[in-house]
Amino acid sequence: MEPDTIAKIIDTLKAERIDLVVTLPEEPTSPLTETIRRDPYFTSVTVASESNGISLCAGASLGGRRCIFVTGIAGLLVGTWSLAQMGVLYGIPVLIMASYRGDIGDRSGVSGAQLFMFQQLGEPMLNTLRIPYRVIKKKEDLEREIRDSHFACREYGTPLVLLLTGEVLW
Amino acid sequence: MVKRFDCLKLLASWLDEHALTVTSRGGNAREWAYLRPQGANFHSLNMGTCMSFAVGLALAFPKRKVIAIDSDGSLLLDTSSLVTLADVNPPNLLALVFDNQAYANMGATATARGTDLAKMAQGAGVKKAATITSTEDFAAVVKPALAALELSFFVLKSESGRAQVKVDSRLIHGRPMLEHFISALLRHPDYQGKSSAGKD
Repeated sequence: MEPDTIAKIIDTLKAERIDLVVTLPEEPTSPLTETIRRDPYFTSVTVASESNGISLCAGASLGGRRCIFVTGIAGLLVGTWSLAQMGVLYGIPVLIMASYRGDIGDRSGVSGAQLFMFQQLGEPMLNTLRIPYRVIKKKEDLEREIRDSHFACREYGTPLVLLLTGEVLW
Repeated sequence: MVKRFDCLKLLASWLDEHALTVTSRGGNAREWAYLRPQGANFHSLNMGTCMSFAVGLALAFPKRKVIAIDSDGSLLLDTSSLVTLADVNPPNLLALVFDNQAYANMGATATARGTDLAKMAQGAGVKKAATITSTEDFAAVVKPALAALELSFFVLKSESGRAQVKVDSRLIHGRPMLEHFISALLRHPDYQGKSSAGKD
């Protein structure tokens, strides 16, 4: 993830007054989460499992705190139980930003079998859980997509996932 | 061993209207809904989600006490939540874990046979964690913890079974419970949202 992308994401989060960022560090988004961790504007929470992070964000979001969970496709798979509870059962708005590990263009060195698994399961899993998502490939789309998705997830009353790929991530 | 109902009855008598509570499923939810039908109570969080949800709520309401009423089975499903709890260390959170050492809905099906949950919390980094085995100790330890600006985590060794109380199921399940909770939040003086939960 390049510095201008990181800056654009952080500026947009601030414009949306999102000041609680919950993460479980993963390689593709680590430059972003490390930058956020050093920025005093944000309360940065590192969780021990993605299920923790989703439940934590749900409690904070329902309490009126603007927050985002930053993870990856693998984290979404780990967090399905919490996503099902907070999303399908209660309809709590939780904005999630996830690296699209395994998308076409991922040359990060992960084995092809793993990449294919993520590519095959990621979006179908979100569809199964009825969680809306957007795939963001171009830097020029970042600000609009983040702002629209933040608004939509609160209006819909659901978790909503931004999948980062293409020039935004790789 | 404590009786959960006796402890919760004491707890309800100590809380002001602004305290926020979350519970796991089963007897915790039913008995707490019976004892505290008013106020911001989020009930019946499913297995493994109660503790972290409470941490998030504590971050949203830093000036108010948040009480998590969890169970041994629920906590054991996601013990990594103890690490998150210790790391965030919200000073306004009181965590209570009723440990009857069983998945009570199915009778005597053992959960953690020899596991010390308070020591697990300590090992995760929670500084103030202890096990309570009597109602007298509950009163002596938990009431002061409510007033303290410090994360507290107490495991309550409790008897099996649940109090036979009649509760409006809409108070403890799904979307109707959620609407009740949001209504309470909207009346809360510290709520950070404006016109409705989760919106501007």
